[in-house]
Amino acid sequence: MTVLDLQNVSIDFPTSKGVVHAVKNFTLQIPKGRRVGFIGESGSGKTTTALSAMRMLASPGFVSTGKIFLGEDRTDVLGLSAEEMRQARLSRIAYIPQGAMNSLNPVMRIENQIWDGIVAHEGKTDPAELKRRSEEVLAGVGLEPHVGRLYPHELSGGMKQRVCIAIGVCLAPDIIIADEPTSALDVITQRHVMQTLREVQDRIGAGLILIGHDMGLMAQSVDDLAVMKLGELVEFGSVRQIIERPEHPYTKELISSVPLVGGESFLDPADQPAPSKIEAGAPPLLEFKQVSKVYGAVTALHPMSFTLEGDTPKIISIVGQSGSGKSTMGSIMLGFNPPTSGQVLFEGRDINRLSAAEALQFRKDVQAVFQDPYACFNPFYRVDHALKFPYKQFGYSKSDAETQKAMEEACTAVGLDPSAVLRRYPHQLSGGQRQRLIVARALMLSPKLLIADEPVSMVDASLRATILKNIYDLKEKFGISILYITHDLATAYHVSDYVMVLYHGHIVEAGPPKEVIGDPQHPYTQLLIDSIPWPDVDRDWGSASDARADLDRLQAISDRPETVFRGQVPGFALATG
Amino acid sequence: MTDQQSQAHAGEAQTAQADMSGVTEKQMRRMRRFDNPWRNPKLMWGVGILLGIVAMGILGRIFWDPDLVFVGSAMPRQAPYGFENLRGQEGLLAHPLGTDGSGRDMLAAIIIGAPNSLFVGLLASLVGMSVGIVLGFTAGFVRGRTDDVIRVLSDVMITIPPLLILVVFQAAYGDVTLTMMALLIACFVWQSPTRLIRAQVLSMRESGYVQMARLSGASTSHIMFREMLPNLVPYLFGSFIANVTTSIVTAVGLEVLGLGPQRIPTLGRTIYEAINAGALIQNLWWWWGLPTLLLAVMFIGLLLINLGLDEVSNPRLRKL
Repeated sequence: MTVLDLQNVSIDFPTSKGVVHAVKNFTLQIPKGRRVGFIGESGSGKTTTALSAMRMLASPGFVSTGKIFLGEDRTDVLGLSAEEMRQARLSRIAYIPQGAMNSLNPVMRIENQIWDGIVAHEGKTDPAELKRRSEEVLAGVGLEPHVGRLYPHELSGGMKQRVCIAIGVCLAPDIIIADEPTSALDVITQRHVMQTLREVQDRIGAGLILIGHDMGLMAQSVDDLAVMKLGELVEFGSVRQIIERPEHPYTKELISSVPLVGGESFLDPADQPAPSKIEAGAPPLLEFKQVSKVYGAVTALHPMSFTLEGDTPKIISIVGQSGSGKSTMGSIMLGFNPPTSGQVLFEGRDINRLSAAEALQFRKDVQAVFQDPYACFNPFYRVDHALKFPYKQFGYSKSDAETQKAMEEACTAVGLDPSAVLRRYPHQLSGGQRQRLIVARALMLSPKLLIADEPVSMVDASLRATILKNIYDLKEKFGISILYITHDLATAYHVSDYVMVLYHGHIVEAGPPKEVIGDPQHPYTQLLIDSIPWPDVDRDWGSASDARADLDRLQAISDRPETVFRGQVPGFALATG
Repeated sequence: MTDQQSQAHAGEAQTAQADMSGVTEKQMRRMRRFDNPWRNPKLMWGVGILLGIVAMGILGRIFWDPDLVFVGSAMPRQAPYGFENLRGQEGLLAHPLGTDGSGRDMLAAIIIGAPNSLFVGLLASLVGMSVGIVLGFTAGFVRGRTDDVIRVLSDVMITIPPLLILVVFQAAYGDVTLTMMALLIACFVWQSPTRLIRAQVLSMRESGYVQMARLSGASTSHIMFREMLPNLVPYLFGSFIANVTTSIVTAVGLEVLGLGPQRIPTLGRTIYEAINAGALIQNLWWWWGLPTLLLAVMFIGLLLINLGLDEVSNPRLRKL
């Protein structure tokens, strides 16, 4: 019993540069009650394929060849009139969007938004009946009836995403398309939302298309997996078969690129680590003295103190979910954001009280790699500007030819072909290329300390390992100390020498990665590790009620978290209080 | 393939490449037109119309006698060539667009008047824009008290109808020059660029490339003028053109009320005189109609430029 049948579907986008064949000859059947994952990098056509089944392709895209049949009566989707298609959407094929926060109408109560869909398909309905049905679907996703009376801004991200699921399933569709429904959520909430989605889908017996790029999430959530690359279906099979016996080289690459806690390291440490640029006996490289940050009524960072000596290069990881205060820490270290209390000392000097000359020296010594590689380049200039300008500004440049040579060397060192990336405009490069250029920039300027704030979270999965390796090499080969800010425990496990787990502005657990992440003691760290979706079919993620219980447990520890110290590494000392 | 090459390849965009096969030559030409966003048909038409008006002013002074607008040397109320006036007199080639109530040549009035009206709009907008850039950057960058003052001031100024103040001012001041009028109007067109630039600067100062520039030890002026300003250019152009339109409307409004410069011919003053002399009921359509038509053409040109600039700064609006 097939609920969605895509036959030889090709999708074209006519653009000013020619016709882009976004999807080529895509054939797939989705049986009733089956969960199918579409996995692939951004731009591989997974969302486009799914949206074509709803006839909601972004203009000017259109289905150039092929047939799409929906449901057991094999309705020809492409042959429907606009009104028939409108009737089919939501009632027969539902879509759960990526960012729930932007998908709900901010001026309407939740229940009204659910009623909207029902009324649009069934006409005028008795208010009491509407009320009963909205409460029923909300209960189905584990939300209390009173949530229906709330406005979207009164809900958390996970609750909003569950409301979107409730809206999607309120008319019991034949098939649900979920487009990266958890990409904006942290791992703990992600687990809860995914399990809710699975349970609801099981109950109504619909087919599910889950679009994503996370192999672990797929392994925990779907039955079959479709791997897409450049608009083509390169491999299709059951999750177990694909994860355990991938055949296509691209699938193998996708699977091997997922770093695992305790798995094999993707790094190759140098035999002879580069010496630090800091002489012994100099004041510590970076020192936090009772630093805290308060925004109005919210304490982003509770007072904390630590000392990074810097005489041997180290990678210190700061791990935490969104809102844990880790990015605030990063901007305090860069001097972009003065702390509310306490002092940040760099080589013994308070970074918020520097003279102009000292400030320039500080900028030379402390550099950063930011999260968003798309925003880091000024779209007005060629990418060279981002590398050339600071090099000249800091007085490293002797001549234009020498600058050019330095740029080319830095590009080569991070594995970029200089002739392919230099002299280009940022929009001509991919996210991965841009992020590596930023790493190349850091290498060219050769600072003493590098703040890497989520350097790979916006880069496609297959490139993450390579970029992290580039960053790791900065420490190993060039002697740069690095503060690595991330939400990803698995990468922190591999690259760092010391890990601090941040929760609501408190350090809850700190120590060498093998102890902290390999064998967590603090309940929050344990919860984080348990919530990671493992790309292993046998390792179960637990049910929605487990996830619910874990969220409650989290609530209990949020009041007064204690720091669990898990050992020391030389050159770094932490003290909270 | 060496390891390095394969790494470089892995970094390339993973999106499908565009396919140019099966595209006709005509379509190709249409597509190529969009390679350079500034070669936008609307933009080119709009600029063409405005340049046409400027060219008319220049060529007119060479090939026609501009003095005819100051001296009523011809028979009054003559119809344009090929038409008859109410007295049944044929229009003459000596005054191809007819004459006004005191025998002044309409062609000369347009040749002199149209560029004058455009000049007032451009000057007022240029001054207002410059003030707006300075205040907007200051507010967005300095923040704090300065920002509050500038923001409240521009918000308050936006609520005041400019025509009201200008009418009072000009009535008290008497005759003004074109430049003086432009400067007066400029006092009322700096608010929207200020608000626009302030908003853009506020969002841009948190953007990645500005943070990168700060990390690179860039000075504030470098960040303002080398990093931020170039990205504001499409917005600035759009706002500039919108301001030119507003300024011309305000200037013409004042002139039609008889509050414009008395000694300098402008399109607005011609309309004012026509209305005053009862040109509407006497069916002297060329007297008020020609300046109105020219103003309409000018506004259409400005509108086209604005639409074109919108497409330049927002590629989503471009259509094949």
